[in-house]
Amino acid sequence: MSLNKNNCLIIFSLFLWVALSAQKKREKDSILTENLGEVVVTATRTVRQLSSLPLPVTLIPQKQITNSGVTRLNEILSEQTGIVVTPDITTGGGEGVQIQGIASDYIMVLIDGVPVVGRSSGNLDLSRLAIGNIQQVEVVKGPSSALFGSEALGGVINIITERPKTEKISGQITHRAASFNNQNTTVSVNQRKGKLGYSLFIDRLSTDGFDLADGDEGQTVNPFFNYTFNGRMYYDLSDKLQLFASGRYFLQDFDIPSGTSEERDGNAQLRIDHKLSDKSQFEYEFYYTNYVTNEQTVDPIENEILLDNDFDQQLFRPEVRFNHSFTPNSTLTMGGGYNFESLDRSLFADQVTFDSQYVFAQYDFRPIKKLNIIVGARFDNHSVYNSQLSPKISARYNITEHLAVKGSVGSGFKAPDFRQLFLDFTNAAGGNYSVFGKEVEVQGIERLIANDEIITDSEGNQILPVPLSELGEPLNAESSVGYNLGVGYDKGKFRGDINFFRNDFTDLIDTRILATKRNGANVFGYINRESVYTQGMEVDLRYKILDQLTLSAGYQLLYAFDKDVEEELAENGAFARDPETLETIRISEDDYFGLENRSRHIINAKLFYEIPKWGANANLRVIYRSRFGLTDRNGNSFLDEFDNSFIEGFTLINLSFGKTFFKHYQVQVGANNLLDFTGTNPFSAPENQIAVNPGIQIFGRLNFHF
Amino acid sequence: MKTTLKLFSLIFILFAFVACSDDDEGPVEFSVTAISPESGTVGTEITITGTDFPSDAAEVNLTFGGVSATITSISSTQIVTTVPAGATSGEVRIAANGFTSTTPTTFTVLSDLVQARASNIPAPTTGGGQGAPDEGPFTKFSFATGAVTDSDTEWDIAFRATTIAINGGVATGTNDEPERNGNGGVALVRDVLFSEVTTANGLTYTQDADGAFAINPVSDQGWYNYNGALFLVSPIPGTVLVFRTHDGKYAKIEILSYYRDAPEEPNAFVDEARLYTFNYIYNPNEGETSLE
Repeated sequence: MSLNKNNCLIIFSLFLWVALSAQKKREKDSILTENLGEVVVTATRTVRQLSSLPLPVTLIPQKQITNSGVTRLNEILSEQTGIVVTPDITTGGGEGVQIQGIASDYIMVLIDGVPVVGRSSGNLDLSRLAIGNIQQVEVVKGPSSALFGSEALGGVINIITERPKTEKISGQITHRAASFNNQNTTVSVNQRKGKLGYSLFIDRLSTDGFDLADGDEGQTVNPFFNYTFNGRMYYDLSDKLQLFASGRYFLQDFDIPSGTSEERDGNAQLRIDHKLSDKSQFEYEFYYTNYVTNEQTVDPIENEILLDNDFDQQLFRPEVRFNHSFTPNSTLTMGGGYNFESLDRSLFADQVTFDSQYVFAQYDFRPIKKLNIIVGARFDNHSVYNSQLSPKISARYNITEHLAVKGSVGSGFKAPDFRQLFLDFTNAAGGNYSVFGKEVEVQGIERLIANDEIITDSEGNQILPVPLSELGEPLNAESSVGYNLGVGYDKGKFRGDINFFRNDFTDLIDTRILATKRNGANVFGYINRESVYTQGMEVDLRYKILDQLTLSAGYQLLYAFDKDVEEELAENGAFARDPETLETIRISEDDYFGLENRSRHIINAKLFYEIPKWGANANLRVIYRSRFGLTDRNGNSFLDEFDNSFIEGFTLINLSFGKTFFKHYQVQVGANNLLDFTGTNPFSAPENQIAVNPGIQIFGRLNFHF
Repeated sequence: MKTTLKLFSLIFILFAFVACSDDDEGPVEFSVTAISPESGTVGTEITITGTDFPSDAAEVNLTFGGVSATITSISSTQIVTTVPAGATSGEVRIAANGFTSTTPTTFTVLSDLVQARASNIPAPTTGGGQGAPDEGPFTKFSFATGAVTDSDTEWDIAFRATTIAINGGVATGTNDEPERNGNGGVALVRDVLFSEVTTANGLTYTQDADGAFAINPVSDQGWYNYNGALFLVSPIPGTVLVFRTHDGKYAKIEILSYYRDAPEEPNAFVDEARLYTFNYIYNPNEGETSLE
């Protein structure tokens, strides 16, 4: 491990030295655009200058993405301060994003302000989202349900696509080839002519996948290919009326040994911006999205279908927003909308639907010159679970021109999902256990009683750990309150932010046993139970060493614990097993490591360097993640130091070089995970080592733009 | 008269001398009033109280059922000794200065507590696993023999997959379960070390009942936890099961593993499951509740 760290340091210093010594002439145009130009829309749903916001927001500009040579959202997010993309190593496949220690289930992902749906066990696969045609990615940390409603507890990630700017047709063709036969081709065309603008984007990715365990059959990630098609149109109907229409279609097919696994994701968005005056504007938006997966596992010998799992989720959402600026520094934003959601899933008895209506309002103002306050709230009314009111207040006080204090308190919620409400599933193939969603548990249990499947006592009464009268009580939404307090400093070449955060979660949904069947199998239902918190600090620094050389670094300190476990340990003490004798030993409460998959420390450092004279650029990005645990292993139901389920801290170094030839051609080469870190999965058997990371990935990219 | 007085004085003095010598050297009978405790295993410290015990332990011969015991301390009112190896229940006899006495109550020599580890007790099921109906016979275990038994009556606990039946109460109604004909019971003690459960006294014992095993066979409710990510059954640390056996004796167990040879880090795909390893302490003495 120390060798690894030394290597990082050496490589990083070397890079810095080369960059500095090569530096002679200074020109404008840096990788990270000037502060003043950085505007975001996600934080307030109005255009706001990034540097003036009272909230913790991360902005990833297009240039950083292109120069890093990455093509998928998960890749670029993993290099940002306080954002972790967790490998799903126990099962392989999907990766989840984590913000301020909050898991992927509680983070909302938007494209141009409208939500991406289609989660597998709560996790949204971000590698599904190609980022070849975007202007920037905005990440708002902390609860943002006051504007965005359900799921925005941990934060919001908004992908802002690029608008066509030039009269002439512009576009690019890119091909990127990387290790594991990863082939990514992208074509895009843009034009803005008079009142009409359009933008077309096609992306194709295919790979042979990779295997983290050599010894076993099959691969960790099977070969797959996917296509993304995106077409957008901008049309000015009049000075006051602007039209935006966008369609996106994604198709992915995994080549699994027997059976099929495919995924389709389509969105259609129509927005009309209606300017009433210089001060007032309406936005009317219609959004439809459909996410479909088909999974079929076939017995290769009998040719019999073992598992058929289909998932078809739809969302239709009209929304109206209204902005009014009373003065240049005070803006009122209001809006309302209607969500029609439906899900058709093999594991559900029927197709299920949700209806919800919402209204929100926000007032962004400056009572005094140095103070900016944003207050807002949103009310969500839902057809199935209880209504939610989500308020939020944030403020920023500019102590001096360069120094500001920022603070915010807001609430977030996540509606119980379809599964938690409507699942009616009996695993006939794997043990005959049943799981009932909250809305169907009464009928489910009654059905089992009627069929005489539930165990009874000698008087013939069913034994029900949860009495029938207590079943069917509606589930509450999972909710959180988040606090952020920070200081920002911005002067000349240096910009620094420090932010302390705390997120308190209550009513997290857990499973419980409702009954036991005569055959010994259990019947599970859902209940609000757990409460957890995450707290810590993040530091983000940027220093322009030279005009063409920018160093940025970030650090996050994180404590994430389950409050119920902490209480239980304080009351009854903590127990584990001696790894050798297997006998129970008493351990300290401090041996409780906290929530799974959380690293105490995350560090990133990035150096971006440009040599305009040569049309060249280079960059080096280092990401460090400290030790984290995967699951309890010794039976005490919490992750502790005696569980052999930890992944040791590791460092990933990503490097890339780019150079433009003949004005229109750009060549880029690079390596991700330069040190070829593979790591060891703690669950691997000694004779069959399982890696954590597939190792170094070298890539080359050729780009033609016109 | 003078001679008579002299003679009398002489006799008196002589008598006085004799009397004196009788006090210092002559045998005096001691008495035993109590023995405490009145039962114990070999090695248990025993205190005998009484009067006029000799001051030198070497002058005392103390036997438990004929087997001589070593005296660890002695005073005129108290003798402290330990139950000697080979001692049998009955009279405790003390001999000194030609006198012999027994304790007013007899002493019961208790059998030693059995402290052992049962390894790889098989608990197969012919059911489908993963909560599918378990079928097939339970593996019965007797604390008295410390082994698996085929007896339909002389068993205390029985295993099938993660289910543990006890020989007490009535049949729960699952397939192929053994008939309950004893008076067993179980108390599940949480958040303790095995060594901290010192007595079976003061616990509430439950028996298997129609529709419910006394030890809840569900993950996290009874003796084990099931980790769905790793497909592993792990005994919950800090859980001690105290049993009343079918014939009213007591034992405590700590389950250590559900996998063959109790591996340090079981792997559900490699290690054979449904093999119990547990530490136990069994008190074979009727009515005795000590578990240490």
